[in-house]
Parts: sequence; structure tokens; C-alpha cells
Amino acid sequence: MYLPDFDYYAPESVKGVSEMLLEREGSVILSGGTDLMTKMKNGLPVNGMAAPKALISLKNVHRMKKIEYVKGKGVVIGGAATCNDIAYSEILHERYNSVSGAAQSMAANQVRNAGTVAGNIVAAVPSADMPPILIALNAEAKLESAKGERVLPLEEVFAGPGRTVLERGEVLTEVVIPDQAMTGSAYFKYALRKAGALAVVGVAAALQMEGGVIKDIRVAFGAVGPVPMRAPKVEAFLKGKEATEDNLDAAADIARQECKPITDHRASEEYRRDMVGVFTKRAVKKAIAQGHN
Amino acid sequence: MATDEREQVGKIYAPRPYNVIGKSKPRIDGREKATGSGKYCGDLRMPNMLYGKILQSPYAHAKILNIDISEALKIPGVVDVITSKDAPSLKYGLSPARYDENILCIEKVLYVGDKVAAVACVDEETCYKAIKAIKVDYEPLKPVLDYRTAMNDDMPQLHADFPKNINTEIHQKFGDPDEAIKNAYYSSTDVFVGQRTYQCPIEPHSAISSWKEGKLTIWSTTQTVHYFQHYIAREFGLKMGDVRIIRPLVGGGFGGKLEPTGLEYCGAIISKRTGRPVKMFFDRHEMFAHNRGRHQGTYEITTGVDKNGKLLGVKCDFLLDGGAYTSLGIATAYYAGGLLTLTYDFENYEFNLRRMYTNLPACGAQRGHGAPQPKYAFESHLDNVADALGIDKIEIRRVNSRQSDTVTINGFGIQSCHLGECIDKIHEVTDWEKKRKEGLPKNHGLGVATGSFVSGAGYPMYRNDLPQASCMIRVNEDGTAATLYTMSVDIGQGSDTVYCQMAAEAMGYRYENMKIVSGDTETTPHDFGAYSSRQTLMGGWACKRAGEDIKAKILETAGFMMHLPPEDLRCEDGKIYSMSRPKVDSITFEEAARKYFIIKGPLVGTGVYSVPRLGGYFKGAAVATSPAYSFCTQAAEVAVDEETGQVDILHAWDVHDAGQIINPNLMKGQVHGAFTMGLSEAVSEQVLFTDAGKIINPDLANYRVLTAKDMCTFSNYVIDAADDPAGPWGVKEVGEGANNPTLGAIRNAIKDATGVSVSTLPITAEKVWRALREKKEAEASK
Repeated sequence: MYLPDFDYYAPESVKGVSEMLLEREGSVILSGGTDLMTKMKNGLPVNGMAAPKALISLKNVHRMKKIEYVKGKGVVIGGAATCNDIAYSEILHERYNSVSGAAQSMAANQVRNAGTVAGNIVAAVPSADMPPILIALNAEAKLESAKGERVLPLEEVFAGPGRTVLERGEVLTEVVIPDQAMTGSAYFKYALRKAGALAVVGVAAALQMEGGVIKDIRVAFGAVGPVPMRAPKVEAFLKGKEATEDNLDAAADIARQECKPITDHRASEEYRRDMVGVFTKRAVKKAIAQGHN
Repeated sequence: MATDEREQVGKIYAPRPYNVIGKSKPRIDGREKATGSGKYCGDLRMPNMLYGKILQSPYAHAKILNIDISEALKIPGVVDVITSKDAPSLKYGLSPARYDENILCIEKVLYVGDKVAAVACVDEETCYKAIKAIKVDYEPLKPVLDYRTAMNDDMPQLHADFPKNINTEIHQKFGDPDEAIKNAYYSSTDVFVGQRTYQCPIEPHSAISSWKEGKLTIWSTTQTVHYFQHYIAREFGLKMGDVRIIRPLVGGGFGGKLEPTGLEYCGAIISKRTGRPVKMFFDRHEMFAHNRGRHQGTYEITTGVDKNGKLLGVKCDFLLDGGAYTSLGIATAYYAGGLLTLTYDFENYEFNLRRMYTNLPACGAQRGHGAPQPKYAFESHLDNVADALGIDKIEIRRVNSRQSDTVTINGFGIQSCHLGECIDKIHEVTDWEKKRKEGLPKNHGLGVATGSFVSGAGYPMYRNDLPQASCMIRVNEDGTAATLYTMSVDIGQGSDTVYCQMAAEAMGYRYENMKIVSGDTETTPHDFGAYSSRQTLMGGWACKRAGEDIKAKILETAGFMMHLPPEDLRCEDGKIYSMSRPKVDSITFEEAARKYFIIKGPLVGTGVYSVPRLGGYFKGAAVATSPAYSFCTQAAEVAVDEETGQVDILHAWDVHDAGQIINPNLMKGQVHGAFTMGLSEAVSEQVLFTDAGKIINPDLANYRVLTAKDMCTFSNYVIDAADDPAGPWGVKEVGEGANNPTLGAIRNAIKDATGVSVSTLPITAEKVWRALREKKEAEASK
């Protein structure tokens, strides 16, 4: 329970961060540190390394902390925006309160003050709370490096538990929620106490209602597979259907089949499967009834 | 606490003619704790101090073949490394009949976390490096991990003197329970299973030991400086007077800081060797590994009742997982069945119990000691009996309720018991009648249970004839302050505050002028410390008597000053006046105190309290005796999500017979805390182990203590009675009895809401979900 020794750098640009990452063997990004510091203190591997030799802090890269609305693009969340920045963002309250709610559901106030959205994504913890709702809202991740930049759908960033497709030197600088036709979205975190708990199951849905019909829908699960996952079968089933109890129950059953949970000390596979069904239905209903609130 | 409209605080009690007690005075340590200026053991630094850690065993059961410390000693900053060769081999423990633990393991380790070696370094960080560099060769042995099979022939025996791994065995029989049950109108048996929980005090254990010039001083996170002094002196062959134990501020104990942990012993040894003070500490993982939390157990209860639900005969057969050592487990074992006779009066009782040794961390005392899980089983069983007979759940408790001036079948004398009034009051404040008649909303449930607890154990942990408590008050020379000296220990429950209130009341002085020195074996007079909910009653007597001693001296001086006989004078709230001559000018306590000092020297009062002989003459009769017993009822209303099994607690009620309340806010705080802790144990907490005996969740993220957000609104009520002659002003305990009914009340509410019984703790959402699904499937197949 002590931090091993490491070198520390805090460049002022993404390019600077990227170059440092490329130059220095065994270097990793330090953003909020809420995941990294605990891992290092407990001697757990970070990005496959036993102990990072250098931490490259993002604290001087000021443009990564903003949350703003860019016309024609959507809501742009800087990678270093903290969970509390997201929880208390007026832009998000107005447009996608479901995202603020997901941030608010995490950990404790102290952790939310430090932990960042990019960190929540690139740590690639299966139970992370930000990815499902962002995936449901079709968010994109911008990856920048000294060599250039690329934009990926958020769901394509994850490669496995604790693993992403980020290459050496790449920094997740922005998450963009594009302008969209979806009329509502909701995230349900099911955890075993009301604060400071990891999701046993996370279900997010974003949908477009027209008349009583679900014109379009995206559903994403957390904590029930090796990575945050879309639920294409649930989406295909509900698309073009009325949101009747029977249809939602049938969709819930498809969700139960579609997820890939495991048994651990928090919950059994069986229970998680059933909860995915329960909360898929609740998320869809809430997105219909309350819009993005 | 939330100012929800449902929160209501009942009329606590009728006004009594007291100036200081019965009032919610601010905590005497409140300001320093709130601002952070107060110092806990972990905050203390001594010049030239070393930091130390204990190397804990990675195996549940293994032979130690060799320990190589050479690499560790080479690390810069490592000052000393010790193993069992450097420590006394005298075994220690808390129960003299079962001293079974060594400072550092000699041949074998008995649980993951057992103490193997200790290091001392110039800083904390180096300790972790040094621990890692110690090379230990182990020969892993087959571990005993399941207490239910620990006595099987194919299981290794863990302690030479205890065949079949039975650490403690109890067989008590009163009356003829078999005959009573056989002839009963209705008889039934239920089995309930409790889990292992951990106290989780927010402050981790630490100790600073300084051994110089033949004297050992230890600053320790402890609930009891006296026992630490006794056990540590014994281990090192020192006179008790040459060992000084000091308690800095303590951040919670709940029973987990009652015994030396090894931090004190190892720190002392290293301090003697190096001549430097040594701070040893546990981090959160190590606290969990050391443990001494609540025993898990299996509780079989058989009762026979008449057609009104009156208990005729009760048989209990309990099996406890004690872990690797005895710790406080013998007391736990006797408490488990002993205290079940308090709330309900029955005449035929059999209590059998075995406490097993296993290769898991030792279990000890946790708030409520051995009682909460058996009480949960009994209250759950009682609801089942009521269901079977179609009797109201409150009615079955009323017909069995204990009365004042009775003696339990196992020999506990009860002078005041207002349980009947507590039951009536809970009936009223929960709106029980209406809710039963009109029904609750779907999936809502209401549960009720009763509780009781000792107001201090009648006998100390090791045999001795010391009085239970004593106290000394010294008034400052000019009378503007009075300092109370006591060896009692404030661990956050507020004893320093209520002691000063009681002393001020008895002196006729003002609370605001009181100071206190407590929990220091060198400067304060004897008291056994904070356990068995003993301090307010037992230490309270000492405070009262010391205060009255001061008052008598003050009045004598005032009589001389006012030219009136002392018996005509009254001293209240710092003023002294004549009762017969209202026109005579009053004088102040300060003036009289100052005069006393000028004439006679230091104004000192002392008080002492000894318990009269209590209890019967059978084996184990001493445990759970007490001068007085608290009684209470609790009710909880819950809503269960039938799809997820999640239990949401909506509101809870507590009605307490705790005698005279010294500080209503502190009393309510104890009840809220006890209830929250009980709620958390009922639905959430459990220490989990791998199949190699290692704890899976030794941290606050995965060992889920419920949070403030999970707590419900709460109503407190107190029975207006202060008639127990065994307590000063009629006080009784509140700290532990308040979680005695909680687990049962929660279980009964969940059963009421869902119709299903989950018979193992904790009653998690998944278990409720499973039970509901099974019920649905059973109904479908009909």
C-alpha cells in the first residue's frame, strides 16, 4: 500500500503528452488518478506493466477540461472533464441529463471530483458507468497523437477488460455526443448500495419516438460482458414497434439472452441476466416518459 | 439526520429537577473533532520515531520452516526486523482459560493474516518494502475452513488441547424443556444462519510504543487501557505500574479494539531493542485480516407455545465459527444463548452451543456481542410461530413480555423492565392497528422485534477483585474549572461528555466548566473501559459519588462562609443558597471552592463503584449478569422491489427503556448508529473468503457498509422511567441493546412484504429475488 517511485511530467499540449508517451518507456497518462493510483498502490498491473516508470499528467492541457456545445457537431466533452463537471454541467442538464445522472451515480464525491470521463473509458472496466449511456447516445471518441488523429464510435474503443484500441502515444481528448434525432435517453445503474458501489448491471437506452412507435433505438449494457456492449437484437426487435407492455417484456427477454454476464462475489450470472431484462424495460420506459431527463 | 416530515422525535421524558443531566449538552470533544485539531494515534509523531509493520501470513494453515530476514535488513532505512525468536513465547488472549495466541507465530500460522514477523523502519514506505523482502518458507497444511465440518475426523486439529477443534462447549438446562415442548399446543423448529461481519471502525488500529528506562509507554487505539496494561505487563513480566497505556482520540471501536493486536507487543519489543519509539499500524486490508469481528453461526431454535403464543419451553442449539483463536469468543458463546432469556419470560430452557476453531481470522466482540444473530433467529422464529397460530406479531410479544422485579430462568435479576410499555408504544406510533386492518401498499411490509442488553458485564474479563469503576474530580484553585479523572475510554460514543454532565450534576456545578482527563493508566483512577455498554452506569456511579464528595466539601465550606448549617444549603448550577432563609445572599461555587483551597488545600472528590455479587452457581452463570438491563422495541417499514428483490427501508421506530437519559442527542445518536449498523448487517455486509481462506473483500468498496443514503428516516421514543435502583439516577445502557432487535425487525418486515423467508444473513436483493422466484414457480406448478 505505497506508491512505487516514478518520474512525473506535465506537458502543456496534447502533442507534448503524446511525444512523452512515445519517448519514454513504461510511461502512462495520469488524468484523475482515481483508478491509476489505487492500482499502483496495490501493485496491480497498469496497461500490462508491473509498475509504470513515468506518469504524464494532463493537468496542464487546459482544452481537455471543457464541456461545450459546438453547433453542427454536438456536445463536446473534454477527456479531462471530471465526473462532477459532467454531473453539474448545465449544457448536459439541458440536453442529456441522462449523462449527468450516470456521472452522479459514480463512487463518492471525492472520487467524482478527480475521476475523468476519458479515464472512465480507457480504464475499460466492464462496470464503468459512463460508457453505456454514451454508447447509447452514439458518442464518438477522438484519439489524438503526435502523428495525427482519428475518430471512432465509442463502442469500438474497447478491446477487452482493461484493454482498449488506443495505440502508444494516443490520447482520448474528446467525447462527442452528436446532434441527433433521439427524443429520450436513460441510464439505470443497478448497484448493491446507494453510493460508493460498482454497477452489478448497467443499462442505457436512447430512442426516438414518433406517435406511439419507437422509430429508432440504441441500447447498451455495462457490467454484463467483457466490455460495454450494444444490444443489436433488442434494438432490432423494438425498432418500428409500439412501446406496449408485451413488446417491452419481449425485449427484456431478448436482453436477458443477449447479455454475457459472469458470476462474481457481487452477483450471479443468472441474477445479472434477469436484472438486464428488468432494467432494459425500465430504461426504455423512462426514455419514453421523461425524454433525456 | 434528515428533517423529513416523517421524522418525529417523541416526547423524550417528563422534565426532572436536574440542571445538567437530561439535557443535550454539546460534546466536550465536539469542536476539536469537527475542526480536525484533535489528535488520533495516527496523527502523533515522536522525536526519532520509527514506523513498523507486521508481516501477515499468506496461508490459512502452514508450518513455518524458515524465516530469512537478511535481505530485508539490507534495505536502506530498515532499522530492525523481529521474529518469534525475539519475542516472549508466553501465550496470551483475553479469556484466561484459553490463552492460545503468540505475539509472533512460532511453528505454525493459523489464518491468512496471522503474525509472522515485524519490521521497523525510518518511514512507512520502507516498511512495505521490508515486509516484502522477508523470505519465509512455508509448508502449506490442509486448512479447516468450514466450521460446520471442523469437528470431522478427517480435519486437522488446530490446537493441541482442543480435540475435534471444539474451542468452547456449552450445555445449560433449566426446568424441563423437552416435557414442556412435548405437551405444548404448538411446537416448531427453525434454523437460521448468520454471516461473518467486521466492525469496520473508520480509524485503523495503531500503537506507538516507547520503552525506556525500564518503563513501557504505549499510545494505542484502544477501548480499554486497563486490560491493555494488564495483558501487556503480563506478557513482558513487568509490574503493571511500569506500563502506561494512553488513549488518544479513538475513531470508533465497536468491540474491535478490545485486545492487544500485536502492534503493541511488537512495537514494544522493537522499542526496547532500538531505544526509539515505534509506531506500528494496520492499513485497511490488514485490519480486515486481523479481524475479530462478529462470529458467523447456525442457530437452531425449537419452542413450544400455548394457544396464545405463550412460550412454554425453548431449546437452542447453536454452532459458531470462532476462527483461529479464542479472542473474546468464550463470552460471545455464553452471551449467544444467555441473553435470550431477557425479553421473554419462559421457565424451561435448554442452551447448547459449540464454538469451533477454524483457519479463518479469529472472531471476537462486535456491538451487541454474541446476541444480535441469535436474537435475529429468535425474533424470526417468533414471527413464524405467530403466523402458524394466526396471532398478531405484537400480541405474541406482549404475552411473553418480561415484567419488572423478575428473575430470568438462568438467574439474571431484573429490577426495572418497561418492555410492556415499549411494546404498547410501538403499537401506537407505527399505527399498527390501522396498517394491519387496512393493509399496506403492495410489497410493503412492517416488522417488529424486541431487544435487551446488559448495562455492563457483572464480572471483569480476568478474575480480579478490583471495583468496576472509580473517578476523581479536582476543582481548580479558583473554582473556575473542575477536572474529572477517569480511566474510562471515550471511543466516540460520548462517554467523556456524559461523565462531565453527571459529575457536574452531582457537584451542583456547571457542565461548561468541566474538563476531563480519561483513558490514561498513569494519571487516572481505575475503570475497566468501553465494552459491554458499561460506562454510563458503572462509571456514572463513580462520577456521581465523586461529585457528591465535592459537593459535601463545598457545602461545609459555604456553611462556614454563610454562617449557616451545611444541611440548610443547596448547591445547584454553581450557586449556593439557603433553603430556609431566602433573603440570605447566595454565594457561588467558585467562591466556596477558592475558600476551601485557601483553608484546606486541593479540593478533590473521589468515587468508586463495585458490583454486588450477581448470578447463579452453574457453569457460565457469571456471563451476561449485570446490575441493570435496558429494554427496547424496534419496528421497520420496508418496500421490496419484486422484480429485483431490493429492499428499501422507508422508516424505522425505536422505543427505549434506557432509564434516565443523560444526554438525549447522544442517546439518539447511539440508537441511530446501532440501527444503521444492524440494518447494514441485515441486508448488506459479509466478509467473504476464497477457498484458500483469504478475504475477498477487505476494503470499503467491496465490504459494503451501508451509507447515509441507504438509511431511512427514524423516530425515537423513550419510556419515561428512571426507576432502576441499580443505576445512578436510574440510568441504563443504550449503545449495544439498540442493535439487539434490528436484524429481526428487518427480516420480519421483509417477510411481511414478500411472504418469503430468507433464512440466511445478509438478506441480499439476490436472495430475496431468488426466494420470490421460487415462490412464483411453486404457485405456478400448483
